[in-house]
Amino acid sequence: MTTGYKTISFTLTNGIGHVVLNQPPGNAMTVGFFSEFNRLVDDLKTMKELKAIVISGSGRHYSSGAELDGLIGLVNNEEMRYEGNEEMLIMNSRSFLFLEETEIPVISAIRGVCIGSAFELALFSHFRFCGEDAVFGLPETTFNLMPGIGGISRMAARCGSAKAIELVLKGSTFGAEEALKYQLVDRIVPKRRVVEFALAFAAKIKEDYRKQKTPLYIQKIHSDDLQLN
Amino acid sequence: MTEDKYTERVNKEGIGILTLKNPPQNYLMEPEFISRQVLDEWIRADELKGLVIAGAGRHFSGGARLEDIFSMAEAEAPMEVEMEKGKNLLSCIRELNIPVIAAINGVCFGGGLEIALACHIRFCTENALFAFPESNHGLMPGLGGTVMLGERLPFPESLKMILGGDMINAEEALSMKIVDSIIKASDPVDYSLGFLKKITEGRSLIIIHYVMQALKNAKELPPEDALKEETRMFAELARQEAKNRSRRPEV
Repeated sequence: MTTGYKTISFTLTNGIGHVVLNQPPGNAMTVGFFSEFNRLVDDLKTMKELKAIVISGSGRHYSSGAELDGLIGLVNNEEMRYEGNEEMLIMNSRSFLFLEETEIPVISAIRGVCIGSAFELALFSHFRFCGEDAVFGLPETTFNLMPGIGGISRMAARCGSAKAIELVLKGSTFGAEEALKYQLVDRIVPKRRVVEFALAFAAKIKEDYRKQKTPLYIQKIHSDDLQLN
Repeated sequence: MTEDKYTERVNKEGIGILTLKNPPQNYLMEPEFISRQVLDEWIRADELKGLVIAGAGRHFSGGARLEDIFSMAEAEAPMEVEMEKGKNLLSCIRELNIPVIAAINGVCFGGGLEIALACHIRFCTENALFAFPESNHGLMPGLGGTVMLGERLPFPESLKMILGGDMINAEEALSMKIVDSIIKASDPVDYSLGFLKKITEGRSLIIIHYVMQALKNAKELPPEDALKEETRMFAELARQEAKNRSRRPEV
């Protein structure tokens, strides 16, 4: 069991690792969160019994994303070398990339807000289920910044680059139905059951996924197992 | 407004409109339908935030005329040189670091469709028609159409369209994802212009460039390198923003 985290809680049950972003109310991704998250990913890499990962937020929200002031402060810290600070940001994206490249299924269960870096994290998951109350967006450009942890490319891979250009430059938020229409989420589930649904889905596909992670297989679970009730 | 040989260029409040102007069908008289250098310099000098490519009048473009292709083939200068110039122009459009919309009405055939496919976003009106008719005349698409269509479509669909030479309408083009959206407005240029204004409003040129660059990197670089580049661009913006904030009085 992995313990000692302040901003994340992690439990491993029957091979399913449940990562809960845990800084209520908004589960903001602070600099402290990212350093714990990177440590957690290193731990995950060593867990032989891990067969699926579910990511959700504590309480009513997935996460409101990175604390922009913290990040701006980090890259602007004159006392630290710029390269060193960028190195920390690069580590964050490496952790996200691990989740995408791992052989086991990674599922994001999304309630409430899922904005900025939090949406980027969700986009690196293999599956996204959300409640009808979910709110998505990459609003970075409205703060004179840009999404910095792979969100632009991952969004384009799902919804096509034309839609991604629009959503990223505009930076506005949108709801569950729109996210489904743009193929940015796989299914809308009643919000109180999102986590439960994701855990059940993880249990159902965990054995097969590792063995036959082929496009055809993924297509099949999208059409069959997503109908799971 | 600037008129080149077969095109016209207008800067509308920071968004460029490049019109193919050889009505009625806006045939492309040469593969490099506008000088690549002229286009590049215009975008840079005017600090354009977006570009709309459209056809004058009721059609986008019917592509090249058969007789022009055959006379080019018989000319002394090797045809490949001209074709290469056209292809370079299209890759220049693809690589532009501002969003480029093809605003399509009427026919969008052959070389016209290749221009549209080189754009980042394709909007069309309900009456738009698309085809690669080259194979009906013993030819094949010559400005990268086989590659660009192949990137968007599953192999069988792409083969059917290129080898079959069939014409498809706006609805079919949308369901095949050749176009991104069918617009109800009668003037696709106005609509596209409004769209670009809306998404670039309040965005600095550097942010637009970086977002477009990140999309390009995702296609061209290994994942880890693309992510590193994105972080580098993000950090640069963040540093700039920190400077701006320290200059701005606290509210």
